[in-house]
Amino acid sequence: MAESKKRKAVTKDVEEDAAVVSGDEFDFGQLDGTLSDDESASASESEDLYSGAEDDSDAVSIGSDSLPSEDSDEDILIPKEEKESNSVAIGASESAASGHHQEPENSEDEKPNYRIVKDANGNDRYEYDEIDPGDDSDYSVPDNAANTIGDIPLSFYDSYPHIGYNINGKKIMRPARGEALDALLDSIDIPKGWTGLTDPSTGKPLQLSREELELLKKVQMNEVATDGYNPYEPTVEWFTSKTETMPLSSAPEPKRRFVPSKHEAKRVMKIVKAIREGRILPYKPLQEEEEGEQDEVPNYDIWADEQPRPDHAMHMPAPKLPPPGFEESYHPPAEYLPDQKEKEEWEKQDEEDREKEYLPTDYSSLRKVPGYGRFVKEKFERCLDLYLAPRVRRSKLNIDPESLLPKLPSPDELRPFPTHEAGRFLGHQGRVRTLAIDPSGQYLASGGDDGTVRVWTLIPQREVWSVSLGVESAVNAVRWRPGKDTPILAACAGDDIYLCIPRLGTDSSPEADAAQAVLDAGWGYAASESSGSKPPSIKWSRPSSSLREQGVAIVIHLGHTAKTLSFHSSGNHFVTICPATTVPASQAIAIHTISKHQTQLPFRKRLKGGGSPQAAHFHPSSPILFVANQRVIRAYDLSKQSLLKIIQPGARWISSFDVHPTSASTAGSDNLIVGSYDRRLLWMDLDLSPRPYKTLRFHEKAIRAVRFHPATNRYPLFADGSDDGSIQVFHGQVTSDMMSNAQIVPLKVLRGHKVTGGLGVMDLDWHPQHPWLVSAGGDGTCRLWVS
Amino acid sequence: MAKQKKKGQSGQAKNYITRTQAVRKLQISLPDFRRLCIFKGIYPREPRNIKKANKSASHSTTFYYTKDVQYLLHEPLLQKFREQKALSKKIARSLGRNEVQDAVRLEKYAMPKIKLDHIVRERYPTFVDALRDLDDALSLLFLFANLPSTSAVPAKVIARCQRLCHEFEHYLITTHTLRKSFLSIKGIYYQATIQGQDIMWLVPYKFVQRVTQDVDYRIMGTFVEFYCTLLGFVNYRLYTSIGLVYPPKFDVASDERGAELSAFTLEGHRVAGAIDQKEDEQKMLTNGHGQIQNSETIQAQIDKIAQEAEVEDDTKEDENPEEQADSGTIDTFTPAAPEGDILPQPDLTGDEASTLFSNFTFFISREAPRHSVEFLLRAFGAKRIGWDAVLGDGAFTHDETDPRITHQIVDRPALAQPLPALQGQSDPKDQPLQAIKPGYIVPGRVYIQPQWIWDCVNEGKLLRTDLYAPGATLPPHISPWIKPTSGQYDPRATLEEQEPAGEADQDIEEEEENADSAEEVETDDGDESEDGENEVDAGDMDVASASSEAESEEEVADGFAGFEGTEDADGLSSDLDDEAQHQKELEAEASGRPIPVAKSKEDARKAKALKARQTAQSKKDEEIERQKMMMSNKKRKLFEKMQYSNNKRDLEAEKLRAKRRKLERAGKGKA
Repeated sequence: MAESKKRKAVTKDVEEDAAVVSGDEFDFGQLDGTLSDDESASASESEDLYSGAEDDSDAVSIGSDSLPSEDSDEDILIPKEEKESNSVAIGASESAASGHHQEPENSEDEKPNYRIVKDANGNDRYEYDEIDPGDDSDYSVPDNAANTIGDIPLSFYDSYPHIGYNINGKKIMRPARGEALDALLDSIDIPKGWTGLTDPSTGKPLQLSREELELLKKVQMNEVATDGYNPYEPTVEWFTSKTETMPLSSAPEPKRRFVPSKHEAKRVMKIVKAIREGRILPYKPLQEEEEGEQDEVPNYDIWADEQPRPDHAMHMPAPKLPPPGFEESYHPPAEYLPDQKEKEEWEKQDEEDREKEYLPTDYSSLRKVPGYGRFVKEKFERCLDLYLAPRVRRSKLNIDPESLLPKLPSPDELRPFPTHEAGRFLGHQGRVRTLAIDPSGQYLASGGDDGTVRVWTLIPQREVWSVSLGVESAVNAVRWRPGKDTPILAACAGDDIYLCIPRLGTDSSPEADAAQAVLDAGWGYAASESSGSKPPSIKWSRPSSSLREQGVAIVIHLGHTAKTLSFHSSGNHFVTICPATTVPASQAIAIHTISKHQTQLPFRKRLKGGGSPQAAHFHPSSPILFVANQRVIRAYDLSKQSLLKIIQPGARWISSFDVHPTSASTAGSDNLIVGSYDRRLLWMDLDLSPRPYKTLRFHEKAIRAVRFHPATNRYPLFADGSDDGSIQVFHGQVTSDMMSNAQIVPLKVLRGHKVTGGLGVMDLDWHPQHPWLVSAGGDGTCRLWVS
Repeated sequence: MAKQKKKGQSGQAKNYITRTQAVRKLQISLPDFRRLCIFKGIYPREPRNIKKANKSASHSTTFYYTKDVQYLLHEPLLQKFREQKALSKKIARSLGRNEVQDAVRLEKYAMPKIKLDHIVRERYPTFVDALRDLDDALSLLFLFANLPSTSAVPAKVIARCQRLCHEFEHYLITTHTLRKSFLSIKGIYYQATIQGQDIMWLVPYKFVQRVTQDVDYRIMGTFVEFYCTLLGFVNYRLYTSIGLVYPPKFDVASDERGAELSAFTLEGHRVAGAIDQKEDEQKMLTNGHGQIQNSETIQAQIDKIAQEAEVEDDTKEDENPEEQADSGTIDTFTPAAPEGDILPQPDLTGDEASTLFSNFTFFISREAPRHSVEFLLRAFGAKRIGWDAVLGDGAFTHDETDPRITHQIVDRPALAQPLPALQGQSDPKDQPLQAIKPGYIVPGRVYIQPQWIWDCVNEGKLLRTDLYAPGATLPPHISPWIKPTSGQYDPRATLEEQEPAGEADQDIEEEEENADSAEEVETDDGDESEDGENEVDAGDMDVASASSEAESEEEVADGFAGFEGTEDADGLSSDLDDEAQHQKELEAEASGRPIPVAKSKEDARKAKALKARQTAQSKKDEEIERQKMMMSNKKRKLFEKMQYSNNKRDLEAEKLRAKRRKLERAGKGKA
C-alpha cells in the first residue's frame, strides 16, 4: 500500500500543477497518525474491513459509501501534494457538496472517524479518513488525474488549451510546451525514464521507470514476467564428475559388498518357489500349443456361403495328368512289352530323352511288383511343374488335316492332257519359227528360218505341201484361216504376207476351189475402191506365176517384217504386227480384210508407254482388239474405235498372249494368259483386276509362246513353251460362276526339244479337237504331243 | 494428334514382371516367395511376346503376371513370413550365445502359426473348384502317408497325411463313389466321381520309397502343408454333406496295431458303417491298456475279438440292407409314353458299386496288399472282410478257417495239389484240412488273385473266377481309362477288327521275307542262333537242311518279286496273271523242280490284292503330294505338323498290331 501511494505520489508530483484543494498542514500529521494506527494496531480488523468492503462493492456499487471514500481519499491526498506544489485552490462548492453527502454517516458512527474542518463559509465540514481498499481489492482506483475522454483522438483537442477532463470533470490543461531552448535542453540531458513517446492519455512525454522497462522487455521476449526469476542461473554441481585420487575415507570395503544379499536371495527364492508351484509362468502357457494342434482339424465349412467366381481369362488351371495307358499296367497285354531291341534302346537313352519314363514290364502276379523307384521324383517333378512351369493357353487346332488340302479335281477329271511325244516333223532347215494346225485338225503348217512353209499331215507325220517364200527371209508366222471348208494359210515372210491355198491331197478339191473363191472375191472390190485412201505402201497383189503354181494366191506387201499374225474368228480379218523399232508407229499394226483385199492401219501414233507392239489378237466373240506392247495390253473397242481397258500384267517384256476362247460368252469374264520374256506366265482375269490373278514362274528361261486349247469347254488346257526347251501344260478351268475364280492346276512338263542357240520352243499350237499339242523347236523339229 | 505411346509403358511390358522384380517388390526372400506362390497358387506365365514383356532384354527369365504379384502384396501371410524371419534371427542369436534352451523355447512356442484357411477359400471359391483340383493333392498326400519319417518329413506330417487320406477313403467307402482303379507299375490308380468331378489319384505300393538327392522336400512339404488344409476342409464338407460328424473318432491304439481304415469311427445321425460297432467294442477292450500292450496281449485281444465278431455278425448283416434302403438314392424315371423327352439322369453306378461285392465274405491272405484290397472291396460294397492277423487290426475275422468266408484273396504261386476230393463237394481243389498251412486250401471258398477285384471293379460286374485262380496265368490287366478311338490300337478288340485291310497279309509277306533273309544271314554266318549242342553234334546236318529250305523259299519269293516287277502299273488282268503262272510252271518244269501249285495260287491271289493296295496307296500319296503343291507355304507347314502326330499314332498302332500278330501266330504255332 505504501508503495502504491508512493508511486502515486511520484507521478503526481510531476504532473499535478493544477492542484485541487488546498489543505491545512496539520491534516497531514493526523493522517499519518491514522495511517500508522491503522496499520499497526488492527491488522485483522482492517482485513475484516477489506472483506466487508469487498462484499459491499458488489451490493452497493454506486452507493454513498464508495463515493465519499473516494472523495476523501482525494481530499486526503491533495494536501500532501499541495505541500509541494502550491497551486490553484479548489472550488468551494464542490467540497461543500461532498460534505453534505457525508453527514448522515457521520451521525451513525460512534467513534468519530472524521475531522471537522471549517469550510470557506465557516461551516463545519467533516473530513473522513480515506478508506484504503488495499492492494487486493479489485476495486479500481481511478487515477484522478487520468484523462477521461476515452477513445477519441487527442487531435480533437488541438485547438483547445486543454486536452481532456479528469475524473472530476476538470479540464486537464495541455502541458506547457517548453520553449525551443527547453526542448533543446531536454534533448541534451535525457531525463530518467525518457522514452521519447507521448502518453496518449495525458499528452505528456511517456516516461517509464526502469522496472517497467524490464517488465516490458520480458513480456516482449516471452519470458516469465515475474520478478526475481532468473532463467540463467549458474549450474550447481551436486555430484562432481571428478574422481578423487585420494579417497576421502580410508575405511575398507565392507563385507556386505562381497556377500550375496540374503534379502535378495529370499526374494528370488520366493519367485522360484512360485514358479515351481506354477503360480508364476515364465513363458506362454503350454496348452496353447495343444489348442493350435486342435485347430488344424477344420471345424467349420469353408464353403458354407460359396459363390462361384466368373472365370478370368488369365486364370489357367494346371492341366491334369493324363490317365495311365495300357502299357503302364503291371500286367499289360503282351504286345505292349518292348522287345529286346527296344529295351536296349530305352536303356541307352538319356533319362531326359526318354519318351516314357518307365519300361513296360510284365509281372505275372501282383506280389512280384516292386516299388517304383521314381515315384518320389515324379511327384516332385509334378510339384515343380505346378509352381514353376510357365503356363500359357494354347488353342489346339483340332481339325482334320485333310480339310486343309485344297479341293483339286481328281486327275481322272483332268485327263486327257498331252503326256508324251507321238511324232516329229523333220524337214525344216534351221529353226522352225512358227506352226499351226488347220481347223479340221488334219494338217500342220509350219514355217522356219529356211524360208519355207510346209504343210504336214499330223498322223503320220508326212510332208504334203511346201512352198519356199524366199531363202533369205524367215517365215515368222503361219496361221490357218478359221473355217473348215476353206483351207487358207496365211504366212508372214520377210516384208510380205502370203495367203496360200495349199495343195492337200488331190489337186482340185472342192475345198480348194472354195478357198480360191474366197480369196478372189476381193479383187473386184479392190479395183473399185482403188481410188480410196489406201496407203500406197501396202499392196495386195497376185504373186508370181511360180508361186501361184505352188498355191500362193495373194501377196500383201507390207514393207516391214511382220512377226505375228492373228485371224479374227470369222476369218475375214487378220491382224499383223511389225514389232521392229524401226517401223513407223502408224504402220506397225495392220488389219487386213480378206473379202475386200484391204489393209487398214488403225493406229496413227505409237502406243504410249510400253515400247513397241508385240502381239495382237481379236476377241473371239466381241469386236475387241487386244494389242500388247512390251509391258501393257490394251483392249480397243473396234465398233466405237476407243480404248476399252489397259491391262498391266507386270511383265517386263511380253512375248505373247492368248485370249481364252470362250471368254465372256460362257465364262463371266475375259481371261488372258500372258507369257513374258522374264520367265513369267500370267493368268489375267480382266474383271477381277488389271493385275494378274496368278503368276506362274516355273520356267528357267523366257517364255515364247502361250496358247489356250481352242475347245476349252472340253479340254480346259493351256500350255506355254519356253526357251529352256520345255512345254508346260496346265489345267485352267474357268467357271461361269462369277464368285469362283479360275482354277489352275499344273499338269505336265513336256521335255524333248533341244535348246539350240539359246532357243528352245518357238511356237505352240493345240489340236482343235483333241488334247494334242504341237510345238515348234529351235532345233528344227516340230513335235506332236498326245495324251 | 493422339498422345504418343511410350515404349514399355503399357501392354505386355507392364502386364508381366520377372521373378526378380516380383521378389524385390514383395520384399521377401526367394524361398519365401516360392512358398507364397505355392500357397497362393501363383504360377509363371509365358507372355505372348517375350521380347516385349522383357523390354527387349534377351536373357531368358520367368515371368509372372503383374496383377498376381500385386495381389500377393496384400497377403496376410507376408506378415507371418516376416515374423518368422525375425524369430529365426532371434534363434540364431540365442544359438550364437550358446543359449540352446532359449532357442528351443523360441522355436517351440514363439513360431508364428500359419493358417491357410483363407487361401483355400480364395483359391477355391466353390467346393466344386476344390474337387477339381484334388488330383494332385491326393496323390501327394498319399505319397507322404506312405513315406518313412525323416528329419525332412516329420512323423507328425506323415500321421496327419495318413489320417486325412483315411478319412477321405472312408467317405468314398460310405458313399460308394469310387469308380475305377488300376494296378500300374507305378502304383495303384483310383478314380472317384464326387459331385460330377472325376478325381484320379495314384497311391504307391507299400514299399519304402527310394529317395534321391535331387528331391527337395521343402518344396513338397510346402505343397503338403497346403494340401493338408485343403483336404481337411474338403473332408469336413464331404462328411457333413452326408450327415457325418467330422472329424471321425480316431483310435490311436487301434491304429498302432495296424487297423488303418478301421481305426476310425464314423459318427452320424443316420449312417453308421459296419466298422463302428465293432470299433466301439474294440475300444472298450483296449482303452484300459492303451499302448503298453505287447504283441502277445494284442494277439490275445485279437482272438477274443474274432470270437466276438462272429456273434455280432448276424445282427450286422440284418442292419445293413435296411440302411441301404433308406440312403437317399434317386429313382430311375422311365418314360411311360413314347412321346416325351428323355432326361439324362446320373448313372446308377453308385448303386451298382455298393452291391458289387456285398454278398461275399472275403479273406485276405497275408501276402496280398491288405490296405488297397480292403479299401476297394469296402468301396464296392463288401462288408465282411477278414484277414490274417499279421496284417493288422480291425478285421472281420482273423480266422482263416471261418466257414462264412466265400472268397479268399491269395497271391501265391499255386496252391497245393488237389487232394482227393470228398464226395458232395463240387470244387476239386477242396481239401479237408483244418489247420491251414501255407499252400493248403480250405474247401468251400473261391481262391482268387487280387487282380480279380480290380478287373471286376473296372468292368462293373463279377468276372469268372477261374481265370484268376492262384497260379493261373492272368488275363492282361488293362487301363479302364483308355477308350477305343479310331486309329488307335485297342487291345480289347480283336486284331481283325482294327487292322486296315490287307495289313496282315502284307505283314506276313514281309515277315516271310524277313525270315528268309534272316535265315540266309544265319546260314552265312554259320548258324549262330542254333544251340551250341547242335552246332557241335550235328551242325552240318542242320545247316544243310536249313539252307536247302531257305533256298527253295528264296526261289519262290524271287519268282514273285520278278512277277511284280514286270507287271505294268496301269492295270493288271487276271489272264496276264495266269499267263505268268503258266510261265512259271513251265520254268519250274524245265528246271526240274516240283511245281508249287496250290501255294502259288493262293499266294498269287494275295499278291494281287497286295499289289492293288499298294498302287492305291501310292496313288493316294501322289494325290496328296499334288494337293500339297497347290497349298500356300504356311498351310503346307501346318498340314505337315498336323500330319506328324497322326502319323506317329498310326505308326505306334501299327507296331502294336504287328507285335500282336506275331504273338498270335506264335500262339497258333504252338497250338
